Amino acid sequence: MGNRDAMFDALIEASGVPVSEDEKADLRKTYFTLMDLAERTRRPGRSWEVRTLPHFTPPAPDDDR
Amino acid sequence: MTAELPTIAEAARGYRDGTLSPVDVAALCLERIERYDRKLCTYHRVFADEAMAAARTAEAALGRGEDLGPLHGIPVALKDVFYWKGRKTTSNSRVMLDFEADEDAGVVTRLKEGGAILLGQLNTYEFTFGGRPSTEPPFPPALNPWNTGRITGGSSSGSGAAVAAGLCLGALGTDAGGSIRLPAAFCGIAGLKPTIGRVGAYGDMPLTYSFDCVGPMAWTSEDAAIMLQVLAGHDPRDPMSADVPVPDYVSGLSDGVKGLRVGLIRHFYTDDFASPPEIATAIDGVAETLAGLGAEIEEVSVSSLIDWHAAGRVLVPAEAFAIHEERLQTRWDEYGRLARNRLMLGSLFRAVDYIQAQRQRTELLAELEAVLARCDIVVTTGMMTPAPPLDDTEPFPFIDVPTIGIPFNLTAHPCLAVRAGFFEDGTPIGAQIAGRHWDEATVLRAAHAFERAAGLLDRRPPLDG
Repeated sequence: MGNRDAMFDALIEASGVPVSEDEKADLRKTYFTLMDLAERTRRPGRSWEVRTLPHFTPPAPDDDR
Repeated sequence: MTAELPTIAEAARGYRDGTLSPVDVAALCLERIERYDRKLCTYHRVFADEAMAAARTAEAALGRGEDLGPLHGIPVALKDVFYWKGRKTTSNSRVMLDFEADEDAGVVTRLKEGGAILLGQLNTYEFTFGGRPSTEPPFPPALNPWNTGRITGGSSSGSGAAVAAGLCLGALGTDAGGSIRLPAAFCGIAGLKPTIGRVGAYGDMPLTYSFDCVGPMAWTSEDAAIMLQVLAGHDPRDPMSADVPVPDYVSGLSDGVKGLRVGLIRHFYTDDFASPPEIATAIDGVAETLAGLGAEIEEVSVSSLIDWHAAGRVLVPAEAFAIHEERLQTRWDEYGRLARNRLMLGSLFRAVDYIQAQRQRTELLAELEAVLARCDIVVTTGMMTPAPPLDDTEPFPFIDVPTIGIPFNLTAHPCLAVRAGFFEDGTPIGAQIAGRHWDEATVLRAAHAFERAAGLLDRRPPLDG
């Protein structure tokens, strides 16, 4: 992943939430660990047939039950 | 029966054979609240007059033979996150201090229609985000009755502590990442996260959209089964609620575990994270006890707990931030510092992070489903560490210590925390027992068999020490 500091600053800015500077410092420290965890949810070569949860399928029409 | 307080099952039997009365049991709970809760802070609000009136009504009805079921006349309490018509619901946040729903949550309706006596509203971490309790919200944190210098676990903190301290016979909790099971484990009680959709969550202030569950917390798994019997069922107002049959959770509880196939997930607490040896000994002991009762034990492996933790740590904050985004933008100062910063974590993911985590969730579900195709239940720890000190100020402890509850939130399997032992200092150790989707009955049966064989439930917190 690219420059994490820049990403962090951009995401906080984009959130529109008025985070104070000292709280931003706490969040920045944690952000690096969070991004490591987010990387861990990727798997090289994962098939595109691995879809997301939860699923949604509309109920079948009454006539088809 | 204990010297002071009956279980739900004991009270229900006593009401019907004339040895106990709803008025006496409700009065006993209220006396204990008066005596102990100034220190423990398990309740946000207690409605003593209304509770005693309801107890008198229940006693008169039962006397006339009008029996509303197993919770009729049983004093219970609600985590302060459920809509309750005529009452404020705060989720322990200044943001919600004036919120009053104009209808009851589905589970509140079910408790009322079942004749339960509602004692009051119980403490919670602000907006039900776990981690450490904050000292900033309107209500001070609940203390762990086993050691008041330790946290209760959260977010159903008041529910765990109040049941453990005997300030109600049962309580409602909510669980999106372990928030029923961790306080149950730290407080030494039984806490059940049902299959998603088994209990309607309408009227439960949400933390997430794809994980939130409502479930019972009680002294024994038998009591959790009795509560689930009343709580379970379809609520069309909750899109996750399933229209599936509700089995009898109580009648088969004593059928034993002979031949039950049990998968023990040891690597969560031995290899993936180095839990203290007392935890490993206690959880291994659950499997040994079940084996002694005739169950077949198999050690099983799934992905590292860190992989489960990673998916959960992306998904739960991301969904929570989506729920709170507008309020955080406009009412930042009204949130407690811990709560708003935990919620802000969810703003730091990109859409692709969320989707990749949901795809990992699909893979992890398949792993656990494969295990549960050959095992009837799985057993693992309910806690990675002892209950941490109350004065610990680390804002994000749930990042570094993997979240042991999250696997069964990701997969939606029913999972029950039960008391499995004690540390040397007398604080409890909890195990988790999970089962197949919709099969809460087998989970409860195994837990009941373990509790009876292990004989760990006679010990109560030292409240007068």
